[in-house]
Amino acid sequence: MKMKIGAFVGKLPSWVKALGLAILGAALIALPIVYPKSYVMGVMCRIFMYMILAGSLNVINGYSGQFNIGHAGFYCIGAYTEAILATKVGLSFWIALPLGGVMAAVIGLLVATPTLKLRGTYLAIVTLGASEIIRLVALNWEGLTGGPIGIKGIPSPVLFGFKISKSIHYYYIFLALAALFFFVTYRVINSRIGRAWLSIREDELAARSLGVETRFYKAINFMYGAFWAGIAGAAFAPYFKFISSDMFSLDEGFNILSMVIIGGQGTLLGPAVGSIIVNFLTEFLRPISQFRLVVYALLIIIMMWLRPQGLVGASNSILAGKKIGGNLSRRGKGGAAVARAGGR
Amino acid sequence: MDYYLSQVINGICQGSIYALMAIGYSVVVGVVGLVTFTHGEVIMLGAFAAYFAFQFFGNNLILGIIASFSASAFIGIFVYKICYERFFDAPRHISLLLTIGVSMLLKNLTQILIGPNNMPLLGVVPNKFFGIGLVGVTLVQIIVIVTVISLSLLLFLLFNKTRWGIMLRAVSQDKKAAALMGINVKVTSMLGNCIGSGLGGIAGMLLAIYYQTLIATMGGSAGMKAFSASVLGGLTDIPSAALGGLSLGIIENLGITFASASFRDIFAFIFLLLVLLIKPEGFARKRGVRP
Amino acid sequence: MATILEARDVCQYFGGLKAVEKVSMSIDEGDIFGVIGPNGAGKTTFFNICSGIFKPTAGEIIFRGEPITGMMTEKIARKGMARTFQNIQLFKFMTVLENVKIGFHIRTKTTMLSALLRSKRYRADEKFASEKALEILERVGLSAFKDTLASNLPYGLQRKVEIARALALDPKILLLDEPVAGMNPAETQELSDFVIRLNKDGLTIVVIEHDMKFVMNTCNRILVLNFGQKICEGTPETVRNDRGVNEAYFGKGLVVGEGYNNA
Repeated sequence: MKMKIGAFVGKLPSWVKALGLAILGAALIALPIVYPKSYVMGVMCRIFMYMILAGSLNVINGYSGQFNIGHAGFYCIGAYTEAILATKVGLSFWIALPLGGVMAAVIGLLVATPTLKLRGTYLAIVTLGASEIIRLVALNWEGLTGGPIGIKGIPSPVLFGFKISKSIHYYYIFLALAALFFFVTYRVINSRIGRAWLSIREDELAARSLGVETRFYKAINFMYGAFWAGIAGAAFAPYFKFISSDMFSLDEGFNILSMVIIGGQGTLLGPAVGSIIVNFLTEFLRPISQFRLVVYALLIIIMMWLRPQGLVGASNSILAGKKIGGNLSRRGKGGAAVARAGGR
Repeated sequence: MDYYLSQVINGICQGSIYALMAIGYSVVVGVVGLVTFTHGEVIMLGAFAAYFAFQFFGNNLILGIIASFSASAFIGIFVYKICYERFFDAPRHISLLLTIGVSMLLKNLTQILIGPNNMPLLGVVPNKFFGIGLVGVTLVQIIVIVTVISLSLLLFLLFNKTRWGIMLRAVSQDKKAAALMGINVKVTSMLGNCIGSGLGGIAGMLLAIYYQTLIATMGGSAGMKAFSASVLGGLTDIPSAALGGLSLGIIENLGITFASASFRDIFAFIFLLLVLLIKPEGFARKRGVRP
Repeated sequence: MATILEARDVCQYFGGLKAVEKVSMSIDEGDIFGVIGPNGAGKTTFFNICSGIFKPTAGEIIFRGEPITGMMTEKIARKGMARTFQNIQLFKFMTVLENVKIGFHIRTKTTMLSALLRSKRYRADEKFASEKALEILERVGLSAFKDTLASNLPYGLQRKVEIARALALDPKILLLDEPVAGMNPAETQELSDFVIRLNKDGLTIVVIEHDMKFVMNTCNRILVLNFGQKICEGTPETVRNDRGVNEAYFGKGLVVGEGYNNA
């Protein structure tokens, strides 16, 4: 399975890519008009939302090579921030939404800071622990979060007097947010900042020797990913009208992680594909829904064995797990050892 | 005052179980050289193996130990083959993600096959209480502490007085050198993994008989505690891991006197953060694994 | 000529191992300074101390008049020190051009906001990085390979890419760790000429090497280390004739000058 889909798409001439995007955009905008079944709208909303969740996790794991497995925590913070602000303070959705993102970013910074100096595994465990603590706080802080009961009756957003309540409306909101996410992320990745992130992923020591302030960029990267997860959560709260802490458990974190691993890491398309695949699977597996996570686990294992970068992931990166032998196997007179691709 | 003292005793007892979990974890990570997320589920499976042993064969602790050790060691073989065998030289994140996948798999399969609820496990150890001065210890607590101490001694003897022990230590320090000395690195790594997992399984049994309940999702917090305690030893040093486990147990039990009991698991995380902030490499004397 | 890099009594102990023991040296602007010594002498450790990867147990490093002992690698790079590595730490999966472009990180300023808005600063930075990267590749003779994946190049060219990338920093001093390891005599000579050319353009160069012919022909001053200690510092002539150096390399049995040229 040595296809380099990403490379193929990347080499298409610009006008083809622009046209393709335009056609896709038109199709997505037209879909609810043509086929407004609310079940379909619901699935599409989830797919778009998870594109943001998986995509933002991918920015952290796939682009800067850090190791976050507690993404559900930031999702949770965004959702609760919006819900609390909307129900207790009566704040408008349009203000609470970005605040949810900002709150998540702040917590993201708090989580990342102690581990900026440490290696990948420690960050992974810390993110896991942080995600659980966030959930436990949401579960236990009854005064703020309603405790185990959660928060219900989250008010619908209002746009110029028009109440957004039907799933067809939310379709456009989630579509817009997902499109915004990809647009912004595309621009950031294809810039000096994105290059700094990639250099950290591929070889942190070399990056530092070139003057890249790795700690700063890792922190910024983490906050960026957390921000968008918060946005997704803040949009989810009024959509679902009800949130409680058990929606943001470790299982949810693994759900998001699966999308990134299966769909692909290190590319923009990867997590989008992952979201589509995993959400379709969720629908197909409804009759045997308790096997859902078993299936995802098996897919993760298979993917790591056959194609670690994911279906549409960055084949030309350390994520693809290639060992480096080949051209560096000539030993120098100083006895230089073969350089390793790994060592995170 | 007696309350705090009895909490300290609880802490030592639970800390011993955590120490055993951490020791098992350090053996796995030390010998294999790769960090794992599966230890929690291995502990959980050991607990359930003991549970079924007690159900079918009565409350025989020795049998429980054999059952839990064997079950977890056996699972260790699969974990090794799926997550480690082919990935010693690959980038670290691959084996790590594989262990995450396997842990998800084991947890959810167990939930499906056995059920997601708390399973009571009452009365395996008779409810005896011994007063010593101001405080008292229960029989369970004595048994737990004695078991952990005995296993630690056995492990010490294994590592330092047997041929297998030398091989395990060699593989944990330098696989290539060990291979050059004629040691079968693959089999030895697998053995280390199975021994560490088996110890985790016994720890699972101890958790089950101590709390008198078990649940398919207990792996998550168990794994976190094993990891947090082992960090004190750089994930590979056994005595430091044991110390970490004991400290964690005591801190946790003293901590919940101030905070609510539902925050118990947070102490493991705070412990972890403190160690990572103050001395991230732990107190390991040997090189340790590259995490 | 002003002193550009100075080490004062630098020591690096790893537990009981004295990797570097009271080494002092001084490099002037415009030097091509060689660091030689048997394997395990502490040369790369010394480089790592200079470039901020290790904080020395004792001693000071002064770069362009400023103490940089224990400063972070990123900061030292910003101050004008670039280096290459013994193992060639290229970004293996990026193209040659992408590798060099990353070298321009500290010479560009795009922030996240500028990137998002594709502002003038973003466009200027991208243009700058692309153009200058191509210029450097031209200078080094690697233009033909700009879109080749770094790991697909032969060893000798990979080393050159790493040097090109280091040059992107527009450094005042360039540290090369075993640049001709694994090269044949023709490639070695080519690199020697290249280093001399770079030096003529005003770049101070420090080289760790084992290849004596390369060192003697290219460097104007040499530091000899053995077992972490300095055993000689001076011109090639001085070093060639120094008894301590000859004993370090050949043991005490050989007559000075015998069995020397080995490239």
